Amino acid sequence: MKYLLPVCAGLMLASTSTFAKDKLTISVYSFAQDAYKEALYDPFEEICDCDLVIETGNSVERMAKIEANAAKPVIDMAVISSHDALALARKGLLQTLDTSKLSSFNDLYEAAKNPLGDNTAVGYTFYASSIVYRSDLVDIKSWADLLKPEVAGRVSLPNITGTQGPLTLHMLNQALGHKGIDFTKTIDAVAENADNIVTFYSRSSELAQLMQQEEVIAAPLGRFAWSRFSGSDLPFKWAEPAEGQTGGMNVMLMTKGNGNEELAYKFMDYWLSTEVQTRIAMAKIDSPANMKVEVPADVADSLTYGAELINSLNMISPADIIDNRDAWVEQWNNKVIK
Amino acid sequence: MFQNRTEGLALVLPAAVFIAVLFLFPVGILLSEGFKVGGEWSLAGYADFVSKPLNRTVFFRTLKLGFLVAFVSAIIGYATAFCIVNLEPAQRGRVFGLIILPLMISPVARTYAWIVILGRTGIVNKAIVGMGLSDSPIRFLFTETAVFIGLLQLFMPLMIVSLISAMENLPKDAIPAARVLGASWLQVFTKVILPLTREGLVLGGTLVFTGALTAYITPAILGGSKVLMLETLLYQRVNVSNDYVSAGIIATILIVMCFGANVVLRRVAKA
Repeated sequence: MKYLLPVCAGLMLASTSTFAKDKLTISVYSFAQDAYKEALYDPFEEICDCDLVIETGNSVERMAKIEANAAKPVIDMAVISSHDALALARKGLLQTLDTSKLSSFNDLYEAAKNPLGDNTAVGYTFYASSIVYRSDLVDIKSWADLLKPEVAGRVSLPNITGTQGPLTLHMLNQALGHKGIDFTKTIDAVAENADNIVTFYSRSSELAQLMQQEEVIAAPLGRFAWSRFSGSDLPFKWAEPAEGQTGGMNVMLMTKGNGNEELAYKFMDYWLSTEVQTRIAMAKIDSPANMKVEVPADVADSLTYGAELINSLNMISPADIIDNRDAWVEQWNNKVIK
Repeated sequence: MFQNRTEGLALVLPAAVFIAVLFLFPVGILLSEGFKVGGEWSLAGYADFVSKPLNRTVFFRTLKLGFLVAFVSAIIGYATAFCIVNLEPAQRGRVFGLIILPLMISPVARTYAWIVILGRTGIVNKAIVGMGLSDSPIRFLFTETAVFIGLLQLFMPLMIVSLISAMENLPKDAIPAARVLGASWLQVFTKVILPLTREGLVLGGTLVFTGALTAYITPAILGGSKVLMLETLLYQRVNVSNDYVSAGIIATILIVMCFGANVVLRRVAKA
């Protein structure tokens, strides 16, 4: 009896050490987690015989956590927008990636290979942004049509604080004949029309509801949310404006000094592989950054798919967004929100 | 009741420690953020906050809507409470239940209902156009009117319940006596009902005003970013800008406004 306790303790320790798995902590957007679990997390855990710890939240929360734990990272790998990744890189929080450890690296679109210019991130998905509109009530041929009298009181714009806000200003700026990324005159134009804009939406789900109940008939939208509209009974159409479509890219990155680099590389490599990118695209979760992915036309319709479209996207550089965002928000708050 | 004070204090201690450690201490840390700039104690954050036109606009809008919601709640609340206390006991219970019922439904559900009701194709606009009051639907959503209606519907039950409670304690002969002596209904209200129910009004006013000031869901859904109020601005500062200094300042302003409202209402009631 007197040996029972030490023996049990020994067995427990042995079993713990035998079955203890490696652990990888990742920080991801909170959307479509069930679909990601099926397409990415569960298959990877089987292959690596490891445990994934998934942390979700909005970008600000997740970035704050990475920054607050810079000395001893609690996040190994994260996915985030390219401009948010640049903000982290500028604070020295990211690790330079050894792209030779990513077997699918050469299969990525050129724009996804080194989006920040310092090899601290690789793109894993693109999204186009254009205008969704009610084709029976209005015709949209230019980004400037969002401010025309025909849609006054029936149009919604994304809030400047979200990802779609700066993209919309970027395209409106071009449509109104202004060059570069000085949005002052465009923000003035939006401010003049502020009373004609139903709301400045923050989430695509919010916009979907407003368009379903005919409160709004035209609004800029990310392609990732197009499936909310394409299946509707109402005649929604995706605009192809004269100035083109804008868009953006989300990237994957690794925190500096996380100590779990090998497993993080394995996971990133798996996520970027043609097999997984195809699976994710077929589930209409994210558009592929891997050029070898092939999907049928009906699936492609819901995605930002194909070299021609991706190369045509009129994007703002992450540096321009980070360098100017505070000034845009300040102008927006003073002139548009008031 | 207790043999000595120590016993009473010992019973209170766990709750006091719980509140102090898990509520007051974190709130203190949050509020202190507003008094720091670059790690140093300073009021510069407040000066900067007040200097921005948007913040001033949002502050006065919040104050205005809080006051309007409390004021209109009081007017409707007095009429409703007066009717309810004069009902037969069985009917009073049923009507009281109807007043309480909305408080048991999630504010999110109640607020979302207004999106449908106040929308272009909602019942309000259909009635307005149908009656020929307007040629085309009127835009209610994402206006101060929508936020006001949502907040009023959300908090008016609290005012009615407070006033019912106060009116039940009103001497039954007070109103007939005033009428027999020749007082008009306005005089009955101002000289008899109001003075005798002012504690209920203070309680209801404080609950409605502070509720309207601090509600997040209703202004966020019905006002959006076009009708920012202090609480939606606070959310924006934390979740979009990661700006805890502004968040601490806004939280401090909201707390001061809530306590201030209670003090002012008590003084008005005493006067």
